Amino acid sequence: MIKKRISVDSATSVVYPLAFGIIIVLMWQSGMLHKILKTDEYILPYPTRIFQIISENSDKISQNAASSVFVTVTGLVLGSILGYLAAIGATVSPRFGKGGLTVISAFNAIPIVAMAPVIMNWTKDISSKAEIRSTVAKIIVVTLMCMASMSINAHRGLNELKPFSLDLMKSYAADKKTVFLKLRLPNSIPYVFTALKVSVPASVITALVSEYFAEYRAGVGRQIRENILIAQYATAWAYIAVACLIGIILFVLLLMAESIFLRKRRSH
Amino acid sequence: MGENKNTEIMLKDIGMIYRTNDNKDVTALTSVNLDIQKGEFVSLVGPSGCGKTTLLRIIADLITPTSGEIKIAGETPREARLKRRYGIVFQGAVLYEWRTVLKNIMLPLEIMNVPKDEQEERAMKMLELVGLTEFANHYPNQLSGGMQQRVGIARALAIQPEILLMDEPFSALDEFTREKLHVDLLKIWRKTNKTIIFVTHNISESVFLSDKVCVLSPHPGRLSAVVDINLARPRTMEMKTTQEFTNLVAKVRNSFEGV
Repeated sequence: MIKKRISVDSATSVVYPLAFGIIIVLMWQSGMLHKILKTDEYILPYPTRIFQIISENSDKISQNAASSVFVTVTGLVLGSILGYLAAIGATVSPRFGKGGLTVISAFNAIPIVAMAPVIMNWTKDISSKAEIRSTVAKIIVVTLMCMASMSINAHRGLNELKPFSLDLMKSYAADKKTVFLKLRLPNSIPYVFTALKVSVPASVITALVSEYFAEYRAGVGRQIRENILIAQYATAWAYIAVACLIGIILFVLLLMAESIFLRKRRSH
Repeated sequence: MGENKNTEIMLKDIGMIYRTNDNKDVTALTSVNLDIQKGEFVSLVGPSGCGKTTLLRIIADLITPTSGEIKIAGETPREARLKRRYGIVFQGAVLYEWRTVLKNIMLPLEIMNVPKDEQEERAMKMLELVGLTEFANHYPNQLSGGMQQRVGIARALAIQPEILLMDEPFSALDEFTREKLHVDLLKIWRKTNKTIIFVTHNISESVFLSDKVCVLSPHPGRLSAVVDINLARPRTMEMKTTQEFTNLVAKVRNSFEGV
């Protein structure tokens, strides 16, 4: 009755993507990719060249990466917590809550390029240091993006209960707090991970794009843009590679957390 | 039907009218009168739409009837519910998939603030009663449907209710598992001496299990007959092939009106 398919799962989710990645890199290094894409090694430098730049500029790159990761993770955590709290609010008072969630999800429809400058303007007086002003502004942008997906998904997780599970609680004369702690909260955990699977990649992209508009020059996204502007494509690609790596690492961490939390309930 | 000291559940002139979305009144139940004695095994049997589940939910205080009077050992259903006199077994097992089998059975005891070590002791005792001791630390989706339903029964019994309400508990199971659970349920009933109200649409099941079969007919939902089942106890599978059993099944079937 207990499945033993873990080896099959890791083959499909790790080995195949990895093999695909290796094939792409080989095509890229051999110049085949350039022919397919009708481009040259100046605009699309070889992987070895990109790697060389990363190792030569490791200090500067890791500084910028740290800035981006800090913004991403802080915004992700804050946004997810606020989104979850909004979902709880909407569950406790459905009348105001449903409308509130609609407003929050409307934030998702605003492009980052439109939202970021507005928020940069809000934070212009909070500190005398440009670095702090910019960091706070970027975190707010990421927070707003993450709130929406968490609040919508968490609200579903808190309310889409199995048939009769509320009746069961009623038959035990359970109060609302007990229903929340023993039923709604644990029921919402898989939905929280669904939200995070959307939020994690989105928060990386949001952090990078919001860096374009920040007053203070920092972050991987900002470096990509600046280096493309001055036609330093190899350096830009080095930062692009780092951005990919950040996204992949955060996503893998999320999948690991999910497999620990949901290991027991998904074993059918 | 006078007041009887042994009467556990008294239903007097129960009616239930639903208002649909387009403002039409639908009569789910009309003038149900029924007395159920302490320790009795009573089935509510009928086709879909006869109001049998509605009646069970009214007794459980999950819904309130639009007319009539109910007394549960002299109390209102609400009082009885708040005192946790009901154990309910639903159509699906309704186990919480994030809890182990043992923790599922401990759930009502946690809510009742039973001391921690007593919770586990009582839950283990219930698991033993339904014969699933070795599955205590399994998760619900590692169990078959029949085993899950037995966990549901163990959980319902864990709070030591006077009344066990069962809403088509075996309808999703295959015939073999169902027959096995019939025998198990009767054993548990004999050991624990609960009053059981059992909702089903299976006539043979209701005759095999019950002291009394209440036949409900639809449109509008009403109690059209109460058939006493005088088969000897303990009931055995062999009884199902006797003429007496067949006659009782026929009697129940012939009591339906307008089906």
